[in-house]
Amino acid sequence: MNPRTSIALAVLAAGWSAPLAAQTRTTATTTSSTLALPLRANSVRFAVIGDAGTGDKVQNETARQIFNYYKRFPFTFAIMLGDNIYGASRPQDFAKKFEQPYKLLLDAKVEFDAALGNHDDPNQKFYKPFNLGGNRYRTFKKGNVRFFVLDSNYMDPEQVEWLEKELAASGSDWKIAYFHHPLYTSASRGPEVELRTILEPVFVKYGVDVVFNGHEHIYERIVPQKGIQYFVAGGAAKLRSGDTRPGKGITDVGFASDRSFMLVEITGDEMFFQAISRTGAMVDRGTIRRRIGTTPPKVTGVKPAVKPPTKLPAKKPAATAAPKPGS
Amino acid sequence: MSHLIRFSLAALLVATAPGCGKEPYEERTDPTAAPFAEFGKRVGEYVRLRDSLAEKMGPLDQTKSQAEIAARATTLATLIQRARDSAKQGDIFTPEVAAIISTLIKSEYSRRSDSVIEQRDDAQEEVPSFVPAVNVLYPTTYPLATFPATLLPLLPPLPTDKLEYRIVTHYLILRDVEANLIIDVMPNAVP
Repeated sequence: MNPRTSIALAVLAAGWSAPLAAQTRTTATTTSSTLALPLRANSVRFAVIGDAGTGDKVQNETARQIFNYYKRFPFTFAIMLGDNIYGASRPQDFAKKFEQPYKLLLDAKVEFDAALGNHDDPNQKFYKPFNLGGNRYRTFKKGNVRFFVLDSNYMDPEQVEWLEKELAASGSDWKIAYFHHPLYTSASRGPEVELRTILEPVFVKYGVDVVFNGHEHIYERIVPQKGIQYFVAGGAAKLRSGDTRPGKGITDVGFASDRSFMLVEITGDEMFFQAISRTGAMVDRGTIRRRIGTTPPKVTGVKPAVKPPTKLPAKKPAATAAPKPGS
Repeated sequence: MSHLIRFSLAALLVATAPGCGKEPYEERTDPTAAPFAEFGKRVGEYVRLRDSLAEKMGPLDQTKSQAEIAARATTLATLIQRARDSAKQGDIFTPEVAAIISTLIKSEYSRRSDSVIEQRDDAQEEVPSFVPAVNVLYPTTYPLATFPATLLPLLPPLPTDKLEYRIVTHYLILRDVEANLIIDVMPNAVP
């Protein structure tokens, strides 16, 4: 039986506790730089950047593409999924691997909210532009969305206890968790099964809606697991070419032929998402309608049928001015 | 649950140690209690020392200056190294606590699936090939191996964000988080 069919049947059989009834259709669609987000008034808009801190050419190209989209989709913050600074952590490394690539976004007052990866110096928690506030893990709220930033490198019992307390107090907000190591992925290094045994029951108990992870240098939308939509978005600079395995049954959409990032817009009970390649091509898009009471959540995704190009178009004059956030 | 596992394993360890079993009617107590209390005491002494040194530098708030963060870590590490220049392996991981922790870790590993063990090995792949030693900085250009999430609850708790356990090949190390300094090492602790 198709895994999605079994999920849908499980939803019907079990009422809620139930996994998502994921409905994914595949259609031919454009691969040009199409913005597939609705830009609704007062929506929560953010970018998702994972495993970015190399300081190399492709990180800069991907960062420029993020800024190109920012001009049409002014988001107010970007979440970073860890491995923010690879290798040495000298002041010049922070300049080369973060401040320079994202200068246009920083100049536009886009806030960066980082999680720590295994390549990150834990003292990054003191680096103000990452907004960790001196903590390895934290929570923050934007509109009707509550974010939980976790340190998956060192998941000590205190952190789990803190997470449970904060989730319990988060009320009816959207609940989005993000951290470095994926609980589900088809990539070759595999999911963090140990971490999953600790975190998944907490996520399910308190109704986490969406989880973003990096670590694997690919883009991957996971078939919803126990009512939670997982994304792997660790390809903002590094790439493990071809490292997705759709045949394993847990990948709804995988992209591993170029670098990528995500844009997300949340309004009311709907979350719109779009994954974009370094060249500006759409890699994935869709909508998640979150669970309300006993009504299970629903995911509608659209995977482009055309393979995105991996070559950048001819250079245009560099953009210098950024629109104001929210404009 | 983790306490129960810890107790059972440690009881097994103590029961099979030479000289045990001579007093079968002796009241059963948690055999980890005394060694772990001693470990906690030594950790506490270290933390008081490092806190007193950190206090001299004043609190570190968030800053846009990575140079400031790095300078503070270096200064703190240097102060600790000087204050503990006679520190040696086993000062905190005493032989008694090392025997218990090593047994706990090996037993925990033996209960894990091959895929989990393989994943733990993978986590070590990017870790520098070096022999960790007391009062030495952890190499700064390499990642820290992610600590197995299900193993951590079995080990004695450490002061949050000041000290942490890490694995380097077959060593368990105690690391000062902010100073990036190795405080003690336990060889052959990890399979």
